[in-house]
Amino acid sequence: MNRGEAKQILIIYRPGTSDADDPEIAEALALVRRDPELSRWFDEHCALQTALRDKFRQIAPPAALKEQIISEHTARTKASQRERVVGVTAVAAILVALALVAFHWWPQKSEQPYPRPNTLANYHREMVTIALNSYAMTAMTNLDQVHSWLAQNKAPSDYVLPAGLKKVAVTGCAVEPFRSATASLICFRKGNTLPPGQAGDLWLFVIDQTAVQDAPATASPQFTPVNGLMTATWTQNGKLYLLATKGDEQAIQKFL
Amino acid sequence: MARGLEFENVVAHHYGPLYQFAFSLTRNEAEACDLTQQTFYIWAAKGHQLRDVSKVKTWLFTTLHREFLGSRRRQTRFPHVELDDTTGDLPAVPPASVNQLDSGHLLEALGQLDEVYRAAVVLFYIEDYSYNEIAQVLDIPLGTVKSRLTRGLQRLHQLLTNVPPQP
Repeated sequence: MNRGEAKQILIIYRPGTSDADDPEIAEALALVRRDPELSRWFDEHCALQTALRDKFRQIAPPAALKEQIISEHTARTKASQRERVVGVTAVAAILVALALVAFHWWPQKSEQPYPRPNTLANYHREMVTIALNSYAMTAMTNLDQVHSWLAQNKAPSDYVLPAGLKKVAVTGCAVEPFRSATASLICFRKGNTLPPGQAGDLWLFVIDQTAVQDAPATASPQFTPVNGLMTATWTQNGKLYLLATKGDEQAIQKFL
Repeated sequence: MARGLEFENVVAHHYGPLYQFAFSLTRNEAEACDLTQQTFYIWAAKGHQLRDVSKVKTWLFTTLHREFLGSRRRQTRFPHVELDDTTGDLPAVPPASVNQLDSGHLLEALGQLDEVYRAAVVLFYIEDYSYNEIAQVLDIPLGTVKSRLTRGLQRLHQLLTNVPPQP
């Protein structure tokens, strides 16, 4: 290694650092120790490096830079926390909404007529609902006509009307399904003026006894209030009778 | 963030040298502030991935340099320079004349250095980084570091001899 080569190598040497550990620099430094002219150049070089290093370190950051970095970080952290809270809230809201939908959906499904069992309670509730809401009644004023019409429509027609009911004016009849069976509906008017749109105020449903799994086996009427109507239920000759009207037990008994 | 390293402590320890590095690279205060801030933003987001706490400084300088390169990638093509390209006598810069320079003149000279040399030279002076550490920060081989330093310092010394000293 000659003097020129040593200078080329030592130009990247800084005093007070670990640069001397580099093998090439260590070799050049050995030459410095043996060469007085190179040694003078080297001393000047070290002074220059120190001066340059000091100059670079005099570059001062703006006074507020540190505070700005920290405050921006704090602001970002808070914003991020807010976003997280909003996100969690949104997820919670979605879950609540889903829960509400499920809550409303399942009960509706369970209220579907099928496959609810063909119990007497269900029969009561469904027939009373029909009586109070809507049925496609064929208007008639004669019980013989009613009998014939029901027979033609393959609905139970071999029924026996109670004595009290025979005295009441008939207004018509209809056929209503209950599960796989058919019920006959005979509508009566007790004597009062019917409200507009109403075709009767006393209703008799007749269905095969086997269509209702827990139909009472007795001909003696059983009285049960259902949805604001009083009902009387009995079985006779394989047929289940359901008479319904507004009023109390005493009020319905006079039609039996 | 790496365990035991509070964000504010990391900023307090390193924002000064990082700013010096950024300012030396860009020679623009606003850009240097942005680069420094961006570096700490990335630290806040990814610093927790750093397992070796002793590497924080190198991680920050590496990140700042990458950000700088990212912002300049479309503007500059770095020439490849071999060590053999260095020729001629080394310029003699009297240390006294450097002492008379203000930072503005130094930065002006630095600004005339090609960016490919500038980053290595600044790291060389600001933080007393070893050649290996500079190689790590700049993600280049050790030989390339030495090559860039030799060429960059030679050019810087040359530029400083042309700057009239302060009265």
